[in-house]
Amino acid sequence: MTQPAFPLFEALRQKFGAQIQSLTADREDETYLTLNDPDIRPITNYLRGEFGARLVMVFAEDRRASEGVFFNYYVFDQKGSSRYLLVRTPIRPDDPSFPSLSAELPAVNWQEREIQDWFGLKAVEHPNPRRVALHDNWPDVHPLRKDFPLETVLPPFEGERHIYRPALGEGVFQVPVGPVHAGIIEPGHFNFAVAGEPILYLQLRMFYTHKGTEKLFEKLPIPKAVFLAESISGDSSFSHGTAFCQAIERAAQMEIPLRALVMRTILLELERLCNHVADIGAIATDVGFVIANAHASRLKEMLVMLNEQLTGSRLLRGMICVGGVRRGWNAVQRDTLCSTIDSFAREFQDLIGMIDSSESTRDRLEQTGVLKHEKARDLGIVGVAGRASGIDLDTRRDHPYAAYSRYSLRVPVYEAGDVWHRMQVRIEEVRDSISIIRKAVDESLKGEFCAPARAIPSDRCALGAVEGWRGEIIHWIRTGTDNHLERCKIKDPSLNNWPALVEAVQGNIIADFPVINKSFNLSYSGTDR
Amino acid sequence: MIEVLINSGLQLMLLLLVAPLLSGIIKTLKARLQTRRGPGVLQSYRDIFKLLRKGMVVPETASWIFSAAPYVVFCTATLVGLMIPMTTTHAPLSLFGGVLAVIGLLALGRFFLALGGLDTGSSFGGLGSSREMTISAIAEPAMMLAIFTVALGANSTNLSEMAKIAVTQSWRFLAPSQMLAFAALFIVLIAETGRIPVDNPATHLELTMIHEAMVLEYSGPYLALIEWGSSIKQLVLMTLLVNTFFPFGLSSDWTLRTVGVGLAVYLAKMILLACMVVLVETANAKLRLFRVPELLMVAFILGALALISTFLF
Repeated sequence: MTQPAFPLFEALRQKFGAQIQSLTADREDETYLTLNDPDIRPITNYLRGEFGARLVMVFAEDRRASEGVFFNYYVFDQKGSSRYLLVRTPIRPDDPSFPSLSAELPAVNWQEREIQDWFGLKAVEHPNPRRVALHDNWPDVHPLRKDFPLETVLPPFEGERHIYRPALGEGVFQVPVGPVHAGIIEPGHFNFAVAGEPILYLQLRMFYTHKGTEKLFEKLPIPKAVFLAESISGDSSFSHGTAFCQAIERAAQMEIPLRALVMRTILLELERLCNHVADIGAIATDVGFVIANAHASRLKEMLVMLNEQLTGSRLLRGMICVGGVRRGWNAVQRDTLCSTIDSFAREFQDLIGMIDSSESTRDRLEQTGVLKHEKARDLGIVGVAGRASGIDLDTRRDHPYAAYSRYSLRVPVYEAGDVWHRMQVRIEEVRDSISIIRKAVDESLKGEFCAPARAIPSDRCALGAVEGWRGEIIHWIRTGTDNHLERCKIKDPSLNNWPALVEAVQGNIIADFPVINKSFNLSYSGTDR
Repeated sequence: MIEVLINSGLQLMLLLLVAPLLSGIIKTLKARLQTRRGPGVLQSYRDIFKLLRKGMVVPETASWIFSAAPYVVFCTATLVGLMIPMTTTHAPLSLFGGVLAVIGLLALGRFFLALGGLDTGSSFGGLGSSREMTISAIAEPAMMLAIFTVALGANSTNLSEMAKIAVTQSWRFLAPSQMLAFAALFIVLIAETGRIPVDNPATHLELTMIHEAMVLEYSGPYLALIEWGSSIKQLVLMTLLVNTFFPFGLSSDWTLRTVGVGLAVYLAKMILLACMVVLVETANAKLRLFRVPELLMVAFILGALALISTFLF
C-alpha cells in the first residue's frame, strides 16, 4: 500500500483528516478513499467546488458478510487527471440510510433510487424517493443483497401501479406513448403533457427490461461473464465487453500485448462508425428525408459485413476476451479492412454532402430539442449528447485505454446542443474514427493477440472505462473466489442521458419528439440492465 | 343514352381500379429513387384484398360515427370522381354540380375522417384530427381560388363545361393566371394527399402523423375502405389537376377511337404528374408542423394572385 503524493489527496487529508479512515492507491489510475461515516456531502461539495471534479457514478455493495456493513461508492473524475477517485462510505445494517445528493446533483437521481430499490438503503431527503429500477408493483425485496438468492421466484405482482403526475389546466392533455412502440424498439413509457402541440413536460418511465444483470454477474464464471457483458446493450456489445475485460485485467494486473490493444481500438472504432452512420440516417428518416437513410443503411451494411469478415459476427460479438482478443487477423483481412474503410470514407463524404445540401433537413434539425449547457452539466450528461452541449468529456482522451494514447484524437465539442449539432458531433467523430483506424491498421498484424491465461486473484476491485459510441461506459468489479465475481456494477451512458430528453423536449412540439429522441438514441436495455 | 351509361361505367371502373395502381406506381417510383426495389406496383391491390378478408377490432368507446366514416370517405371520393372529366370532356355526374360540389364533398369526407379519429378517444386520433383540420382550413380556400380562376376563364363552374372550353384552347395553361393556379393546386394536392413535405405517408412514428394518425384505430375492411377511398381521392385530385390545366387528349365526342386515345393520353399525363410528386417527396424533408400553414398560405396567395390576374390579362 503506497501513500499517493498528489495535491488533491493532500488537500483532502488536511481538510477531512478526521473523517478519513484510509486512502489506498494500488494502481496509479484508481484511488480508494474510505470514510468513517456515510455523510459524503462535505467532500462532494469540496471536490466539485475546489477541484471541478465530476461525480461519475454512485453505487452500493453488500459487504455485510466480510466487513459487517454496506458500502456506497462515489466515483469522482477530475479534468486533466487520468485518475479516478472512489470514495467509500460505510452504511450500517442497523441504520440502512445515506444522505441523498440528488437535490444539489440531479445527475445521481436515478442512481440513488436504484440503491434504494436494489439494496434497501434509504436515500434520506431525496426529492423524489419513489421506486425507479423495480417498478411500484414489485414486492418489498432487495435483489442485490447477498441474502437474496438468484433463484428466488417472486409471487405475481399485486402492488400499486405507478401514478403519473397529473396534467391539469384548460386544454392540457396527457398523451401516453409506449411502453410498446411502433417499429422495432425496446419498451419505455413516455407520458407527455401537451397544450395543443407544444410539450409542457414529459415523464419518463424506464426499467421495463430490468433483467437483474448485475446479480447474474455474481453467478457466472468470469470467462462466461464476458458474454453477458456483451449482451448488456446490443449496439454496444464490443464496448461493454471491453469495459468488462479491462476491469478484470486491471484487477489481475495483466499485461495486454500491443497487438491486442490495437485490434481492440480498431474494433471499438468500427462499432462507433456503424452506430454513428446508422444514427445519421435515422435522424434523416425522422424528418422525412428518407433518401439519406437509404444511403446510410447501405454504408452501415458495408461495415457490418466487414465486421463479419474480421470477427465472424456482424455485431462484433465473441471477439473480446480477458487478456486480449480471441482471434488475430491475416493480411487478407487487413486488406479488406483497408479497402472497405477507404470506400466507406469516400461514400460517407457524399452522404454528408447530400444532407448538407438539403435546406429542408437543416431547417428541421437546427434549434430543435436544445439541451442547454447548464442543464447538461447538472444532469451529468456524457458522450455525444454531452459534447453537443459543451460538455468536453471523452474517456478515450481523459482516461486512455486500449491503444488510444498512441493516436491523436480530436474531440468535437459544440455549445448549441440541438439535434443538428448532435448529428455534427457524430459526423466529426466518424471522420476521426476513420483516421484512427487508418493509423492503427498497420500495427494490427504483428505479435501476440492474447495474453496467456492466468488465475485471477480474489477480493480485488477495479474499474474499466470505455468511451462507447454513445458515451462513457463503466464497469466496476470486485473479484471473488473460484474465478467468480463478488460484484459487478455496470453504468451505461444511457442511464445518465435519459433525463436529458425531458429537458430537451420542453417547449418543442410533440411532432418533433421522435427526431429529438433519435438524436440521443439511448439504450433501454443498457439503462434497465 | 347507351353512351352515357358506358361512359359512366367506364369512369367508375377507372376510378376503382386505377386508383390503387397509381398509389402502387408512386410507391415503386419512390422506392427506386431511394435505391430500393419496392414491393411492386400491385401491392396496393394486395393490401386492399388482404384487409377486406380480415376481421376488425372496433374500440369499445367508438360510436356509430366510427363505423360510418369509412363509408362516407369512400363514397364521397367516388362521387367526386364521377363529377370530373377523365377521358372525355363529359363527366358522368356533371349534371349534379360543379366545382363547389366537388370541394364540398371532399370536405365532407375529410370531416367524417376527422370525426372518426376523434371518436375512438385515443390521443393519437385527436392529434391527427386537429392537425388535419388546421391544414385543410387553409388548403380548402386555396383550392377554391385556384379552381375559380379556371372557372372564370370558362364562364362556368360545371367541370364538363370547363373541360369543353379548355379543349378548344389547349395552350391556355401558358397564361400567367393558369400557371399561378396550377402551382397553387399542386401544393394543395400534396397537402390533401398527405405527402412530404406536409405529411409522411410512410412513417411509423405516431407522434408525427397527420392522416395516418386519424386512421390508426381502423383495421380490416374499414381500413381497406379508407385506404381505397384515399387512393381514389388522390387519383381524383391528380385528374383534376391534369385535365383542367392540360386538357390534351380529351375529346368532346364519344367514339371508341377517341376514348382509346383519351385513355392513353390520360394515363401518360397521370404518370408524369406522379413523377413530379415523387421527385418533390424524395428531394425534401418534411416541414416542421407549424410551417405547413406557411406553405399552404403560399398556395392561397398564389390562388388569389391567379384569380386577380385573370382580370388583368
